[in-house]
Amino acid sequence: MLARRGLAGFAIAAAIGLRGVPDARADTYPSKPVRLLVAFPPGGPSDVLARIVGQQLNAELGQSVIVDNRPGAGGNVAAEIAVKQAPDGYALLLANNSILAANAFLYKRLSFDPLTDFAPVTLIGRQPNILVVSPSLGVGSVAQLIALAKARPGQLNFASSGNGTAAHLAGELFRLRAGIDIVHVAYPGVAPALTDLISDQVQMMFATSVAAIPFMKGGTLRGLAVTTAQRSSAMPDLPTMMEAGLPDFEATTWHGLVAPARTPAPIVTQLNTATIDALHQPDVARRLTGLGVDVVGSTPEEFATYIKSESIKWGDVIKRAGVHIG
Amino acid sequence: MDLFAHLATGFGVALTPDNFLYCLLGATLGTLVGVLPGIGPLTTIAMLLPLTFKMTPVASLIMLSGIYYGAHHAGSTTAIMLNTPGDPSSLVICLDGHPMARQGRAGPALCIAAFGSFFAGSFGVLLMALFSPPLAGVALRFAAPEYACLVLVALIATVVLARGRFLLNVGMSVLGLLLGTVGTDIESGTMRFTFGSPNLADGINFIIIAVGVFAFAEVISNLGRDRIGRTPAAPLRSLWPRRSDLAAAWKPILRGTVLGSALGLLPGTGPMVSSFAAYSLERQLAKDRSRFGNGAIEGVAGPEAANNAAAITHFIPMLTLGIPAGAAMALMLGAMLVQGIAPGPRMISEHPDVFWGLLASMWLGNLMLLVLNLPLVGIWIRLLTIPYRILVPAILVFCCIGVYSVNNSSFDVVLAAGFGVLGYAFSMLRCQPMPLIVGFILGPVLEQSLRRALLLSRGDLATFVMRPISLTLLIFAAGLILYAALSWYRDGRRQALPGVR
Repeated sequence: MLARRGLAGFAIAAAIGLRGVPDARADTYPSKPVRLLVAFPPGGPSDVLARIVGQQLNAELGQSVIVDNRPGAGGNVAAEIAVKQAPDGYALLLANNSILAANAFLYKRLSFDPLTDFAPVTLIGRQPNILVVSPSLGVGSVAQLIALAKARPGQLNFASSGNGTAAHLAGELFRLRAGIDIVHVAYPGVAPALTDLISDQVQMMFATSVAAIPFMKGGTLRGLAVTTAQRSSAMPDLPTMMEAGLPDFEATTWHGLVAPARTPAPIVTQLNTATIDALHQPDVARRLTGLGVDVVGSTPEEFATYIKSESIKWGDVIKRAGVHIG
Repeated sequence: MDLFAHLATGFGVALTPDNFLYCLLGATLGTLVGVLPGIGPLTTIAMLLPLTFKMTPVASLIMLSGIYYGAHHAGSTTAIMLNTPGDPSSLVICLDGHPMARQGRAGPALCIAAFGSFFAGSFGVLLMALFSPPLAGVALRFAAPEYACLVLVALIATVVLARGRFLLNVGMSVLGLLLGTVGTDIESGTMRFTFGSPNLADGINFIIIAVGVFAFAEVISNLGRDRIGRTPAAPLRSLWPRRSDLAAAWKPILRGTVLGSALGLLPGTGPMVSSFAAYSLERQLAKDRSRFGNGAIEGVAGPEAANNAAAITHFIPMLTLGIPAGAAMALMLGAMLVQGIAPGPRMISEHPDVFWGLLASMWLGNLMLLVLNLPLVGIWIRLLTIPYRILVPAILVFCCIGVYSVNNSSFDVVLAAGFGVLGYAFSMLRCQPMPLIVGFILGPVLEQSLRRALLLSRGDLATFVMRPISLTLLIFAAGLILYAALSWYRDGRRQALPGVR
């Protein structure tokens, strides 16, 4: 089956090749619809983000942008398809921290190299995570939580939306940096994890701000800190993990646009400009903020450097915590 | 009274020309995707999501939810007419709905399904209007130990109550449980039975198995049979249910509605499990159990009501807690967040127009569906007169599109074809596919809940008996086993006396 899909990919690549990689200059690009691969199923944050940005990109590029969901294996299915496409700017991947910084260390075998097989276009935005606890735990700060965990080693649990997810890795980072003994409990998604946190079955979780804030406002969860470098505009009273005494603690879910490696630089530049213009549309910015995304819009170089530093950080956490998939 | 003021606001919002049209559009679209096998509300909602960005929040929610409950409403149509469920939660309707169609009683089956759906939908809306906040708390009382015990009860009930031979049913259940383990284990990250293929890394989607074992297998067995196998044995009698049909159906509709409303509140269960549970319940309560599987109207009325009641109460945890109780609800949650509305404890007070408007539109939508569907019964009946050589390719095409659209993966279509062959083998060997399906759906819930319960209690089994709800469920499970053992013993004795049966 893989072979057949590879063959189909090859046939498509060959067909495009005949018509013209030499033709793929920035002055004629784009001359046909652009395919935007999304690594997660319809309705998730990645998908909604892709549809919001894709709709505007459509207007910026003057060509339709077709969202193509290829969910599976933590994003690897879509990434594998993306690296096999012709590097002509007609196939893009909406990638995230899992695909570009974590999966290479989580999975034993990966048929692509996140650092060399993609040409970064732009970092679209970050979703801050919030360390939330159930109010009945009786802690009001990160320091109190660490003290409690030290007093009751091995008794507190942290929830995540699955093994190897951003929520899990943030928890492992917390465990390692704070030097505490807390137990990971995996759930099949954010919703069941939050349900158990609210009903006091587990004690803490790193949840995306968009999932956590309604509960914090309703008083059913207590937020202790945000995992971004700066305080979040949505929750200005909440300290960052760094302010709370954990130096260098940053754990966000981020989304960025990448093209297959060897995509001509002019096309990457054109895509970068178009995407950043799209992100600056007030309508787009407002919707992304509604999703809890802090819009960034970096240059390709900045994004490449960011991927590298994230990859080093999470590779280290994954190895030290012994997390693996497969 | 407050409620009337709220309802007045709600209907004021829902009856504006725009919103009313969106409601009609959503319900009609939902009916369409519900009728087409394989294509479900999930794909439709996801595809239409970007179009709703420009609409008002209320209008977008009204339309999207219309698609959702409309599909649940209509899914039974193809189940009854073609033995091919239009959407997963209607699977169980095949069991008795299709035999009814074969006996020339498709009209009554469709009418009872439509009435049952409307009644259950209305009841769900009323429940939502009266008790949303307190009911939402029910979801919070169910943690890992409760889910583990609930699933245990369901699995035992299926095996005990399913038709056919006992050991065969146990075997089919176990096969379903095994199929459910395929994929990445969420606890440890270990890949199970994936054979190194990323296509299997997330497990097998339910739609693949349902389409394979039911729709594809049905097509294969019909091709194998004589052509006359398809035409109804009895001529079409009446389009409308007889008084005796109504008399037999109203109690199952009531029971199904209550059961479905309750199970719809739990994030772990929802419409599909409710319809299975309602079927088991009806079969259990029936005086003459042999009628089930041969066109018992109770087997259509109960599950169909349960399915639709659950489809409505499924909204309660999403709207009032911000906890989506399933994939479709997660999509709705996404749609609301994009519009700047955060569902949760404060949503009803912060956005009363959205909450009450949506609620009113749900009732209007259910009424529209009834008005839409009853005249359509006459048209659906004619499906049976379409020559099989035209019908089969159409069914296959829609099924393939539906399976493909789950993950946009051609691997899944091949996998469904494999399950089609397996399903055909099952029907040749007279193995009931229902226990397999139930095992497949509930297996992962059981495994994850059991392991999580034990992880949280640090391995202490007492966690299951120390909690009142899980203890009650365990006692119920023990009762079911005892009941099965007793009736087995009794049947064994009766068989020893020739002539009694």
